[in-house]
Amino acid sequence: MIVTLIVFTVALILSLVFIYYAITEKDLLKAAVFSAGQSVSYAILLHTMAAPDIAMTYLAVSVGLYSALLVFVISKTERYEE
Amino acid sequence: MSRRTIGLIVLLVGVVSIALTTFIVFNPEAPKSVRELGKYYIANTTRDVSSPEAVTAIVWDYRGLDTIYETVVLYMAIVGGLAISTTTRKVSLKTRTGLTSIARTGTRIIVLLIATIAFAIALHGHLTPGGGFPGGSALAITVMLIVPVYTLQSLLDQGVSSTRLIAVRGLALTALGLVAILPVIKGLEAVTNLKFYPSHVAGMLISGSLWLYNLFEFLAVASGFAAVALYLSIPEEVYREEIKGGE
Amino acid sequence: MEGFVYVLFIVVLAVNALLSIYGIVYRRSLVKKLISLTILSDTIFVSIILVGFIFKYPVVPPVYIGVSGEETYLLEHGSDPLPQALVLTGIVIGLAVNALIAFGVIQVYRLTGTTDAKRAIRVLVEEVMEE
Repeated sequence: MIVTLIVFTVALILSLVFIYYAITEKDLLKAAVFSAGQSVSYAILLHTMAAPDIAMTYLAVSVGLYSALLVFVISKTERYEE
Repeated sequence: MSRRTIGLIVLLVGVVSIALTTFIVFNPEAPKSVRELGKYYIANTTRDVSSPEAVTAIVWDYRGLDTIYETVVLYMAIVGGLAISTTTRKVSLKTRTGLTSIARTGTRIIVLLIATIAFAIALHGHLTPGGGFPGGSALAITVMLIVPVYTLQSLLDQGVSSTRLIAVRGLALTALGLVAILPVIKGLEAVTNLKFYPSHVAGMLISGSLWLYNLFEFLAVASGFAAVALYLSIPEEVYREEIKGGE
Repeated sequence: MEGFVYVLFIVVLAVNALLSIYGIVYRRSLVKKLISLTILSDTIFVSIILVGFIFKYPVVPPVYIGVSGEETYLLEHGSDPLPQALVLTGIVIGLAVNALIAFGVIQVYRLTGTTDAKRAIRVLVEEVMEE
């Protein structure tokens, strides 16, 4: 049980850090990368919470497809936020 | 130290101290047992649905009607997105050279692996964790990989056009609707599972309609997101010409 | 110890949701609003899964693997399948809806030349006034 709790704590703090940097970042491409990092930490949480279906879907969608979608959108519009 | 780092440290300290204070003051108990409804699903999934996977059983049997309607939302959202960025011109690009041959060979192997795993996830969805939704999203990633490495034009040359992908998606969704409605002709409710569909075919467990639903949802999700990826990778010059030509 | 991690879980998820709501409301870039929206939906999904999780060792997914006497073990140690089933469809539908929003953002950029929400509105209003 103690290992599970440590994994929870680390992944939660990691997700908070990534979200803070993603929201405050002016460079949108870097913000997309931080958003992918947040997705990885949430995927760790979901896997530890005994939800393998969700972890699988979430990894494919959130790390793969969302990142690609955001990179496409940024490449078609502008990279820097004012 | 920049202002951002200081803000982060303040945030972290605040979060941990709020959690500690709440824990010390209220001393809440973490939940130790599942709700009765969840226990019902775990206890009865093999009997009611004959699927060992409780999640897939809920997605396509107990709450089957919900999922059918969510699929309609999926359909409408992707149709709306594609309708915004349709072009009347035929897209043909000059660049055919993608990345180097090392990247191409590597991508070929990886795409093959991802596609195999995606099929396995989707078609074993009623036995192991997985199903149509994760399998379809995994297969859509292959298109996102192929487009930068092999260029969009090579995909179009192979006959993978967005029109065909949309046609595949329409057919898959029609088949999904048919699987849902077919029990009505025998006087049963729509989205009936084991009373209409057999649980075993040729000695293999397919859990009634779950296997069919997973297959069609897999095709629908994969082709829908692949069409989105193809539309996103059309370069902006095409649209600029379109806007200029329209005036 | 479990109680503390449970409280930390809820507090961190609430702070994550608040941060992303700040991003949606106060950031002016439309792409930044889209990124914040994906983070908000992910946070909500994780908190739904938390409802079905039990703080017990070991916890296993609600899947039968074909061992005898499995049902009593799963009833004792299995996690709740209902929230997982609801979230499973939600993730994919959320991606489709966000793709729709992404196409909308690109279209706004094509028409106005900017992804800044306020400036895009100003450009659109000026175009209407000229006509």
